[in-house]
Amino acid sequence: MQNAWQIHFTRKNALESGHSSRVLVYGMCGRMCFMRDVWQRCFFRDFCYGGMRGIGMVVIMLFPILFPLIAGFFLLVMKEPKNRNVLVGIAGAALGIAGGSAVYALCRVRGQDAILFSLSKALPVYLKPDSLGILFAAVVTVVWVLAGFYSFSYMAPGQGERKEGEKRFYGFYLMVFGVLVGLCFSGNLITFYIFYEWMTLLSLPLVLHTRSREAVMAGLKYLFYSFCGAYMALLGLYFLYRYGRTLTFTAGGVLDETLVAGREGLLLVLALFMLLGFGVKAGMFPLHAWLPAAHPVAPAPASAVLSAIIVKAGVLGTVRVVYYMFGADFLRGTWVQTVWMVLALVTVFMGSMLAYRENVLKKRLAYSTVSQVSYILFGLSLLQPEAAEGALLHVVFHAFIKCGLFLAAGVMIHKTGKTRVDELRGIGKEMPVTVWCYTFASLALIGIPPASGFISKWYLAQGALRSGIPVFSWLGPVVLLVSALLTAGYLLPVTMRGFFPGTGYLKPEQEEGRRAVFFSVKKEASPLMLVPLMVLAVLAVALGIFPNPLTACIAEIVAGIV
Amino acid sequence: MAGQMEFVQNFPCFSIMLCMFAGIISSALKGKAAKWINTAVLCANILMSAAVLLFAVDKGGYYVYVMGQFPAPWGNELRVGVLEAGMALFFCVIMLLSLMGGRHKLIQEVKEGKHGLYYILTDLMLSSLLALIYTNDLFTAYVFVEINTISACGLIMIRQNGRTIEAAVRYMIMSLLGSGLFLMGLCMLYDLTGHLLMSNIEGKVREIYLAGTGSSYHIPLLITIAVISVGLAIKSALFPFHAWLPDAYGYSTVSSAAILSSLVSKGYIFLLFKIIYRVIGFEVFHDSKIVNILFIFSLMGMIFGSLSAIKENDVRRMIAFSSIAQIGYIYMGIGMGTQAGMVAAVFHVLSHAATKSLLFIAAIGLTDVSGGSRKLTELTGSGYRNKIAGVAFMVGSLSMVGVPLFSGFISKLLFSQAAVQNEGKMLPTLIVLGISTILNAIYFMKTVIRIYTPVGETEYFGVTWRENKGYAAALVCFMALNVMLGVFSQPIVDLIGVGLDSFSA
Repeated sequence: MQNAWQIHFTRKNALESGHSSRVLVYGMCGRMCFMRDVWQRCFFRDFCYGGMRGIGMVVIMLFPILFPLIAGFFLLVMKEPKNRNVLVGIAGAALGIAGGSAVYALCRVRGQDAILFSLSKALPVYLKPDSLGILFAAVVTVVWVLAGFYSFSYMAPGQGERKEGEKRFYGFYLMVFGVLVGLCFSGNLITFYIFYEWMTLLSLPLVLHTRSREAVMAGLKYLFYSFCGAYMALLGLYFLYRYGRTLTFTAGGVLDETLVAGREGLLLVLALFMLLGFGVKAGMFPLHAWLPAAHPVAPAPASAVLSAIIVKAGVLGTVRVVYYMFGADFLRGTWVQTVWMVLALVTVFMGSMLAYRENVLKKRLAYSTVSQVSYILFGLSLLQPEAAEGALLHVVFHAFIKCGLFLAAGVMIHKTGKTRVDELRGIGKEMPVTVWCYTFASLALIGIPPASGFISKWYLAQGALRSGIPVFSWLGPVVLLVSALLTAGYLLPVTMRGFFPGTGYLKPEQEEGRRAVFFSVKKEASPLMLVPLMVLAVLAVALGIFPNPLTACIAEIVAGIV
Repeated sequence: MAGQMEFVQNFPCFSIMLCMFAGIISSALKGKAAKWINTAVLCANILMSAAVLLFAVDKGGYYVYVMGQFPAPWGNELRVGVLEAGMALFFCVIMLLSLMGGRHKLIQEVKEGKHGLYYILTDLMLSSLLALIYTNDLFTAYVFVEINTISACGLIMIRQNGRTIEAAVRYMIMSLLGSGLFLMGLCMLYDLTGHLLMSNIEGKVREIYLAGTGSSYHIPLLITIAVISVGLAIKSALFPFHAWLPDAYGYSTVSSAAILSSLVSKGYIFLLFKIIYRVIGFEVFHDSKIVNILFIFSLMGMIFGSLSAIKENDVRRMIAFSSIAQIGYIYMGIGMGTQAGMVAAVFHVLSHAATKSLLFIAAIGLTDVSGGSRKLTELTGSGYRNKIAGVAFMVGSLSMVGVPLFSGFISKLLFSQAAVQNEGKMLPTLIVLGISTILNAIYFMKTVIRIYTPVGETEYFGVTWRENKGYAAALVCFMALNVMLGVFSQPIVDLIGVGLDSFSA
């Protein structure tokens, strides 16, 4: 990739020094050459003649990124339709097209690449979906589409939400999808960073949705933690730019040994900074405080995607930085790895404890996310193939499970208005399908075989034991086990009290003089909400029973990087 | 670039003269005619600067334009290269847009009879800015520095209420202190070197400097450099000398605020670039350790400016305080004492000029739909009442915070890249840059969230863009400029590099 601009100037300087008589001739056509070079530099040259087979592939790759952005923007600026069905129709069609095009792109784009334009020297905005990116993008697409269709029912007015807010919600929801696909497709760190920042900004309105004081405070907290994290990541980027051969994601790392020699200490500090920076999004201790504040205040579908997907962007960032920029070998056995393992384990335990002690259901689930995402980070921190496989498996499983749990919680809150776990007694009698879905997802998250969580935790424990790292090789599995018990402790009470409310349950309603006949007061939600929920519950269990295609795919990814 | 002169090469001189004559003619005309003349002059200047820029890019290097009949040691000269022409073009564009965006406020806030005067002052302002950009003579620079000061004072106090008069007096005092120091420095340089033309001084300065500490001129030279730097730092509101700024930017009419913040202070900074490269010489300036003082001041400015902005409850003054932080960024680039730092500083001059004027002009649209109140609490929901201003304010804020795809991000990137290459100043730069980014995010994002927080019942009416098309057009152009600087930054950064090379050649 040569720099047309520089060529232009060197050519001109040569002309001036060598053949002064031709300067005038050159001056005449120079202006045109100048403009053409600028134009090519900005858009077309790399775009057309980069590593792409043709413009068609660029369109396939860009469509799932740009279409949701444009459609979301259109929804934001569009006039409020009189009939709500029109709005839902447009948003649904857009979501369907975006999801469909993303699936199509995922099947086609592996190994392709495209440079879109350059920010500055050697900093091109560059897309190159590899297997890892495609895996993440696939998870994003499934979760996003399911939660999106769920939201069409959840966001229906009548819940005290104004219609104008609904349009805004769909608009930003779509835009974040486009940005996330871009994030997964990013081929270098600067592109990743751009999409990462925009993901934060565009998901902010989802957190702020209700505009209550609590939501605004949570939103600001989200924003500042995220900016802090992003700046820490950016700090690392500056140095990688200097000490690396390239910023393009390369399996095994990009550090230039000759430049790095003697500066390992500095780079290790920076690696820790980047880990902490991306750890903000992933809710890693000590910068996790925004997560339990921001996730629960959003509407349920938004909480679901925030907890299931947005946190995974932090995980993806961590994978990219550790395995594709610094390289696993650079970090193995260093103090940074130790610190990282400690932080991840502390978060696993602390998140579970906090979830266990929390009474508000959505907050409990948010703390559970804090804990579960650090399972993934712990797996990555071992820098060991099985553990990394377990981590990536847990990325997929946790996305489906946590999305399912939040959607189930959303149904309960939507229909009953009850937000606290102790108020939800007898909920299983009122909405059995929802609570069964919730239960399956819970069992998967706890890791009871044959549900999916078991597989990932098995790999994680195996990896830890085989890693041979002193203390952590046994401490890790122990903490995971304790945390799994706590997970059972905080998730299952909803099911247990839901189906077995106990003797005291009938009393209040009898006192009010109403005949309490449970089976006649079913409050089951609309199919639009139940179907996504059931799909996710089925996925949570089925992926545990038939994990082979997924494990094979992940094993291939891991084989390339560890 | 000897040999036959092309017609284009006259344009810099023409544009300075054109502005001055426009000012003179306008004084005999009515307000409306003055406005048209002003707009025409700006457009003509944009075209001429663009032509000069293309010429300079084609030819590379620079050329010297001799004013009058006297050759080098005595005569007056203009010196034109890529950077000068580009800066002139940029300044003219920003000024045109700022005037366009603030025109309706000017009509409301300034007495009918004074409109003509306002345009005369802007003509003079433009002529002085162009002269500061192009001149190769230190004394000419001084003269235009004073013209600039006077017209700036006029621009501040043309909206006559108590606060602006106080602000103008403050500005006058601080500014005169600055130009006084500059004049002192200039006299001392003349004394030391016997020259007033920049290129002639440089050689002598190097001689004196190379003579080492034993030379009796060594300490006077250091003092001269310090005096000139501090003088220009006062005029461009570097941190401890910024007391005049918040009132001057906060209470004057909005076009004035935009012009003052994005052009006037930048004109002085550009003069400082020039002095560093062409009068004192980059190496001498770097060795003199004055850079370190500027560096420390700039870091303090970045933090304290932002802290003051956080405390502020008046949106205009908040933006004004943010200027102090941003000026700090620019001086940080200078203070790094490397070529990369300079490129970053020049880019930030462009980026900040495009962003700050956008913010001022967007803020006025928001306060207008909030009953004229500038209190942040009153602005709640104003982003819905004036949509285009809301979007523009958001774009400006995101750019200031340094979100990718806007110009501020590229500045941040360039500063950091420069810092990474500079062993000694790396850590303080990156840390302060980080703190400053977070502080910027706090007050700008807080404001953006506030203007998009809906209010149930309000007595304020909304406006649409159709009611003031010029205003909307100015905002759209500013936003486009911002995104352009943020996305297609590479050609611009390359041009700055080329410009700086020929700057010191």
